Amino acid sequence: MRHWLKLFACILAAATFAPATGFAQAPIRIGVLLPLTGPFAKNGIENWEAMKIARDMINERGGINGRKIEYLEGDATSPSAAISETERLITKEGIKITTGSFASPLAIAVSQAAERHGVFHWETTGAAEIITRRGFKHTFQVGAPARKYGQAAVDFITEDLAKRLNRPVSDLRIAMLWENRAFGKSVGDGIRAYTGKKGIKLVYDEGYDQFATDMTPIVQKLKDSKPDILIAISFPNDAILFQRKAKELNFNVAAFIGVSAGYSSPDLRASIGSMVNGIFVADFPPKVNPNVLKPEVRKIADEFYKRYEKKMGRPPAGHATAGFSAIWALFTDVLPKAKTFEPDELRDIALKLDLPEGSLVNGSGIKFTNFDWPDNPKDAGQNLRASIGVWQWTKDGNEQVFPAKLATHEPIMVPLPSWDKR
Amino acid sequence: MTTLGQLILSGIFIGGIYALMSIGLTLIFGVLRIVNFAHGEFLMLGMYGAWAMTRGLGLDPYVAIIAVVPAMFLFGGLVYRLIVSPALDKPHLVVVFATMGLSILMQNIALMLMSADLFDIPPVFGHAVTVGPFYFKAELVLGFVITAVCTLVLQWALKSTYLGKAIRATVQDREAAMLMGIPVPRIFLITFAGGSALVGLAACVMMPLFSVFPTVGLNFVLIAFVIVVLGGMGSIEGALIGGICVGVVQSLSSYYVAPAFGQMFFFILFLLVMIFRPNGLLGQKGAADIGIID
Repeated sequence: MRHWLKLFACILAAATFAPATGFAQAPIRIGVLLPLTGPFAKNGIENWEAMKIARDMINERGGINGRKIEYLEGDATSPSAAISETERLITKEGIKITTGSFASPLAIAVSQAAERHGVFHWETTGAAEIITRRGFKHTFQVGAPARKYGQAAVDFITEDLAKRLNRPVSDLRIAMLWENRAFGKSVGDGIRAYTGKKGIKLVYDEGYDQFATDMTPIVQKLKDSKPDILIAISFPNDAILFQRKAKELNFNVAAFIGVSAGYSSPDLRASIGSMVNGIFVADFPPKVNPNVLKPEVRKIADEFYKRYEKKMGRPPAGHATAGFSAIWALFTDVLPKAKTFEPDELRDIALKLDLPEGSLVNGSGIKFTNFDWPDNPKDAGQNLRASIGVWQWTKDGNEQVFPAKLATHEPIMVPLPSWDKR
Repeated sequence: MTTLGQLILSGIFIGGIYALMSIGLTLIFGVLRIVNFAHGEFLMLGMYGAWAMTRGLGLDPYVAIIAVVPAMFLFGGLVYRLIVSPALDKPHLVVVFATMGLSILMQNIALMLMSADLFDIPPVFGHAVTVGPFYFKAELVLGFVITAVCTLVLQWALKSTYLGKAIRATVQDREAAMLMGIPVPRIFLITFAGGSALVGLAACVMMPLFSVFPTVGLNFVLIAFVIVVLGGMGSIEGALIGGICVGVVQSLSSYYVAPAFGQMFFFILFLLVMIFRPNGLLGQKGAADIGIID
């Protein structure tokens, strides 16, 4: 009974004082485009939860210059749905800022629709390089572009693994297996170009169909080429089939590096259990060494991890942390400087950003290109300081292992024990 | 030499699994002369069933056969009554679109209920079987044995039991069979349900080897269609031989040419067989019209 009285008193008090504070200023409205249903929904929802945590955290701190953040969500199930949902938010709801959208094809679609209406798009996780190469003025890609995934894997081999294996890089037999659709092929092309530039020859370099039902020939061929290190770009189903077949045929390597997608999915452990231990993954860092973060960012990171684990029952995957990091940067480094909140003003603020690495929760900094990047003068809105690295599946979680300054842990299980000892 | 042996043996074993999931399709085709385009989704449903029994009740997937096979039999009967039977007298395209629609419906219901996540069961046998220099997954070998037994039993049942004879009579001449007092609609119902039950059996055998997700059927259904036509439409041992051919060709071409071309080569094999033996490896002349073979 006393509880009820207290609650009643609270409501009464809130009702009395609300008018004094509640109507101060209209909220800042942001359109969030994520796949909340359909095949990408799982990751989309994880991203959405991370974004909601960011919104709650900023609103509890009083919002941005006294204005609260309000999200309007659009369900970007597929590229075509992404376009129509973006159009709806812009034309019906009058949204001037959009964000999202987890997967590259969705990011391409959302940014296209946003640019058409001159709306400011803050892409959190989409990785395709084309996102920033279409001459768009209002699209900013905060996460790392696709080529960096493969480069991280190769740098990890040359700068770290070779030493741990006590072999010169030129001595190492490196193999690469890639699924032959858009994602796997573009990452594979990137790695081939990068290793070529470094004078590393791949002893095996083949594509396969991600719907393959039998991995025997692939594993057998790899076995015959006797690689020390295998880089694999796979989706979840084929990653699982591959690992099982590798165990069945007793195919062993000294180090196994998966690139994003199939090997970073938290379900991998649910599917293949302890077989996952020791596998390296080149991807967005789920959690970086707190020492690289600025002290105030470290506090935010701690709060985010605590809230996320409480809400979802497990630590965030790399893409969810990336989603939070990017949106938090928007809240703290872009929007507070805005007066009109018009896309052109936001663009000017974004282009002036010069944040060193360690400024974002996942260790990234921010410096956007603006048709002035020597490597590709057509590029605008790519973040040159997005962090990407290598983490490792450990016995009961995952740890960042590369680059050294982001690492939370030393690489373990190098060389990878053979299947009978795992 | 070891490599070649490993590839051929692995191809034969995986081919057996392909054959098992095709037998239901060939049986339905042989008797009803319709193609069930939702065959892959029946497999998906069976795999979810096997997964649920294994994860939920802690059963061995091979024990789950006892529940999944009758359940799929009932499901097949229901689909026959509600969707296939009303479409049987209509132009052939109606059945094609009806089963195609069912396939899309089932995929999306699965997506809604189970999400796009992959589900797996832990391996039944901890270690691979090693014979000399060759390695095999015990589940794969067991699957092949089940396929072989299943083919023999089905052949025997079709030849020797009353129901089997009634089915063959229906295949040979529907009207004459009806005049002889064979309840043809019921034979159709039993065949369709039986074909579905066989997919359920295949699902239980495949669950320890593959992950299940809403579109898993798409990965296998094309192979199943090829096997059914390759083996001779309606021929059960033809399906077994067709399955093994596909498995071996896929295995060898993926290794010796490139993994991305595995599918291409079994389609080349398929085209060659169609050119030189248009009725399939074991099919008799006019198999598409006659149906099952005695």
